[in-house]
Amino acid sequence: MKKTPVLSFFLIMLLFLILAGCAPQEIEQKAGPDAKDTKAVETRTEERIAKAEPVVVRLEGGDWGYPTPFAHYSRGPGSALMRYIFDSLLERDEKGYIPWLAERWEIFDEGKRYVFHIRPGVKWQDGQPLTARDVAFSFNYYREHPPVWKDDLVLDKDYLLDISVLSDRQVEFVVSEARATFLEAAGRVSIIPEHIWTKVDKPDEFSGPEAVIGSGPLRLVDYSKEHGTYRYEAYGEFWGPRVRVDVLEFVPVSDPVLALEKGEIDLASIPADVLHRFKENPAYTVMENPGFWGYRLRFNMQKLPEFQNRDLRRAFAYTINREELVEKIARGEAIPGNPGILSPHHRWYNPQVPQYEHNSEKARELLAGLNANLKPAYELLVGGDREVRIGELLKEQLSQAGIELRVTSVDMKTRDARIAEGNYQLVLVGHGGWGQDPDYLRTRFVGAEGDWFSGTPGYANPEVDRLAQEQLKETNESRRKELIFRLQQLLAEDVPEIPLFLTTGHTVFRHESYDGWMHVFDHHAPTHNKLSYLERE
Amino acid sequence: MPMYNKLTAFKVLVGGAITGNIRNFWRQLSAFGKVSHLILVSLVFLAVFSPYLTLYPHNVSSGPPLAPPGGKHLLGTDELGVDLWSMICYGARVSLMVGLFTSLLAGLGGGMAGVIAAYRGGWLDRTLMRIADIMIILPDLPVMIVLAAFFGPSLRNIIIVLALFSWSIPARLIRSQALALKEQPYIKMAAHFGGSTAYLLFKHFLPELFPLLLVSMIRLAGMAIVTEASLSFLGLGDPTSRSWGLVINHAMNFRGIYFTPFWKWWLLYPWLFLTLLVSSLALLGRELEKIADPRMMKS
Repeated sequence: MKKTPVLSFFLIMLLFLILAGCAPQEIEQKAGPDAKDTKAVETRTEERIAKAEPVVVRLEGGDWGYPTPFAHYSRGPGSALMRYIFDSLLERDEKGYIPWLAERWEIFDEGKRYVFHIRPGVKWQDGQPLTARDVAFSFNYYREHPPVWKDDLVLDKDYLLDISVLSDRQVEFVVSEARATFLEAAGRVSIIPEHIWTKVDKPDEFSGPEAVIGSGPLRLVDYSKEHGTYRYEAYGEFWGPRVRVDVLEFVPVSDPVLALEKGEIDLASIPADVLHRFKENPAYTVMENPGFWGYRLRFNMQKLPEFQNRDLRRAFAYTINREELVEKIARGEAIPGNPGILSPHHRWYNPQVPQYEHNSEKARELLAGLNANLKPAYELLVGGDREVRIGELLKEQLSQAGIELRVTSVDMKTRDARIAEGNYQLVLVGHGGWGQDPDYLRTRFVGAEGDWFSGTPGYANPEVDRLAQEQLKETNESRRKELIFRLQQLLAEDVPEIPLFLTTGHTVFRHESYDGWMHVFDHHAPTHNKLSYLERE
Repeated sequence: MPMYNKLTAFKVLVGGAITGNIRNFWRQLSAFGKVSHLILVSLVFLAVFSPYLTLYPHNVSSGPPLAPPGGKHLLGTDELGVDLWSMICYGARVSLMVGLFTSLLAGLGGGMAGVIAAYRGGWLDRTLMRIADIMIILPDLPVMIVLAAFFGPSLRNIIIVLALFSWSIPARLIRSQALALKEQPYIKMAAHFGGSTAYLLFKHFLPELFPLLLVSMIRLAGMAIVTEASLSFLGLGDPTSRSWGLVINHAMNFRGIYFTPFWKWWLLYPWLFLTLLVSSLALLGRELEKIADPRMMKS
C-alpha cells in the first residue's frame, strides 16, 4: 500500500510529459479581464471626474533609494523618482528642452555669460518662496557635496568661473569658454531649498522629511526601503500645469504582466511574446518605446595592440549579425546598433554611415589580409543573465569568421569594476543614455589619457579629436549638427566599438486609470519624466 | 543478526553482480527499484552516447528560435535556436558527473574520516567529529553561494564545494558503525593475532561498512545534482556549460515565459529529466537500504 503514492507520482509525471508534448496553444487564448467597450470606459471616466474621485496611479515598486539628489540610486528610475520632487531650470518634452524654473535665459559674450530669469510665484513644498538665491545656492552646494547625478562641467571651478545672484529672479553664470553642452548641463541641475540644506553638512545621510521638500509637482508622503514602496501626492500649490495625478504609488509586484492584468498596477513594460494579450484588449493602450538603451561591444586596444588595427575591428563588425541579435535576444523588440554610435532614434542620427551588413566572407578576407598576431581565443567579459546569451550568440557568430571567443560571466558590479580597471580583452556592456546630447561621442572616444570607464584608452584618431573638440565649442545648432554627422561618419569607418542593439520594447497602460503617459525626446521610459503626470496642451 | 545480513547484502550487491548472479539481485528489488534502475541506466546511456543520440550540436543554434517540439527538433529549441534534446543529453553528462564525483569524493573521504576516527579514537576522533559537526550546522546553500561566487563559476569548483559540504554525513554514519564493529569479538581476535591496521580495514571494516557507505553515497549524489542545478539556476554555475539547471535558469529568465507556450518545452523537459534522475536516485537509495537492512522491510 505504501508504494502507491510513489507509483502514482511517476505515472502523473509520465502523463505530464505526454500531455505537454501535444498540448495545443490553448493557454494563449485565455484573455485578461473582459473587454469593455470604449463607450462604457468613457462614461465611467466622466463619472469619476464628476464625483471628484482622486486619480490614483500605481506602478511597479522596488527600492531605488531615498529620493533626494544625494541618496537616490544612480541606476534605474532612481533619479526620476527624485526629479518628481525637485525641479530644474529646464525640462525636457517630446522635442527638446523647454523653460521650466527658468522662464527664459539670455546668452552674452559669445556664449561665456548666461543669465537665467527665474519664474515668479514658485513656492517650495513647505510654503517658502523659491528665488534666484536658491538656484545659486544649489550650484554652490553641489560643488562642495557632489550629488548622485552630476555633470562635471557644472562642478568644475575652472570652467564655471562665477555664479552670482543679480536679483530675486535673476542668476548669472560666467564660464571660461563657450560650450555647446553647458545650457543642458546647467538646466538639468536639481534646485534645492537654501533654507533647508544650508544647515546640512552630510547630505547623503540627511533623510528626514525636510530632505524631500522640492518645488516639483509631486510630494513624497511615504517611503519604505524594505518594501520598495513610495507614495507621492500632488502638490496643490505647484506653480506649473495642473497635476493630473492625485496619488502616485510604487507598490511591490511579483510579476508585472500578472499585476497589470489584475489591475494591481496601471502600467508595465511588456515583453514581445506576451503583448498580444494586451493588444487585443480595448482596456489597454500599447506604446512603443524609443531605442535609447543599448548594448555595445568594447575592445581593449591598450592591452591588446592588435585591436588598434582597424581592419580587425571591421572584421568583427562584418561578422556580428546585429539583426540576429535583435531577433533572438530581444525577440524583435530592438533596433540594430549604428556603427556611427548614435542611436538610430537619436535626433542627430546620420543614416549615411557605412552599415557593415553581415558578411562573413568579407570578414574572412579582411582577416586574411591582416598581418597581426591574433590570439587563438579572446576572452569576452559579460555580466549576468541576458548578457551571457548575447555572449553565446556572439561566440557562435564570430567563429564563422574564425575568431574564437571564450565567454566569461561575472556579476554586473564585477564587470563594471573590471571595465574601470581596464582588466578585459573584449567586454559587453549595456546601459541607457543613448539619446542624450551627442557630446558622449567625445567622452567615449577622445582623450588617450585613459579613463577606462567612459573612454576608450588606446584608440586615437586626430581627426576625431579635432571634430569632437570643435563641436563642443560650437554653439550654433545646425553647424554643430553637421560636425556631429561628420563625427559619426568617421567613427563608423573606424569602428572603435560596436553598438549591438538598442532595445525598444513596449509600455502597456490601462488608459481607464490614467492616460497621460508620454516619452521625452531622449529617454526610453514614460514613467521617468514628470510631464507624464501633468496636463499638456 | 544485522551484521550478518549486511555482509550478505554486500555479497548480493557486489559479489552477486560479479559472479553473474544479477537475476538474484533483480528479484530482490521492488517495482520501484526496478523502474528507478531502468531510468538511471537509460540516463547514463543518454549521457555516454549523447553524440550518437543527437542530430544537432548542444552549444550552437541549429534551428529557428523557440520552435515547438516535433518536426526536426524532438523537444523543440530555446530562444537562440539550440536543440533542447541535445542540451538535455549533454546536460545529463554534467548532472551525472557532478553526482558521481561529489559522492565519490565526499563518500570515500567522509567514510575514510569516519573509520579512522572510530579506529584511532582520542584527539583525532574528537577533532574530526567537531569539524563534521561544524559542517553539519553550517547552512550549506548560503555558504555555497558565497564560495561559488568567490571561487568563480566552474564545474570543478562546484564539485569541490559540494564535496566539502557533504562529507560529514557519511563520516558520522560510518564512525558509529565502525565503533560498534570495533567491539566485535572476531575483530578483537584478529587484532590479537597480529592483524595490521591496513589488514583489518580492508579485510573486515570495509566489506562490513561498504553497503552503508554506498547508500549514503547515492543519497549524496541526488543531493549534489539538485544543488548543482540550484546553483546554476541562481546563475552561479559555469554559464557556458549546458547543465539542466542552467537551461532552467535561462528559461526562467525569459520574460513572461508562463504567458507564452514556450515553458511547455523549454522549462518542462529539463525539469522533468532532473526530477526523474533525482527521484530514481532517492528510490534506489531506499531500495538498497532495505536490502542492506532487512529490518526496514518489516516495518
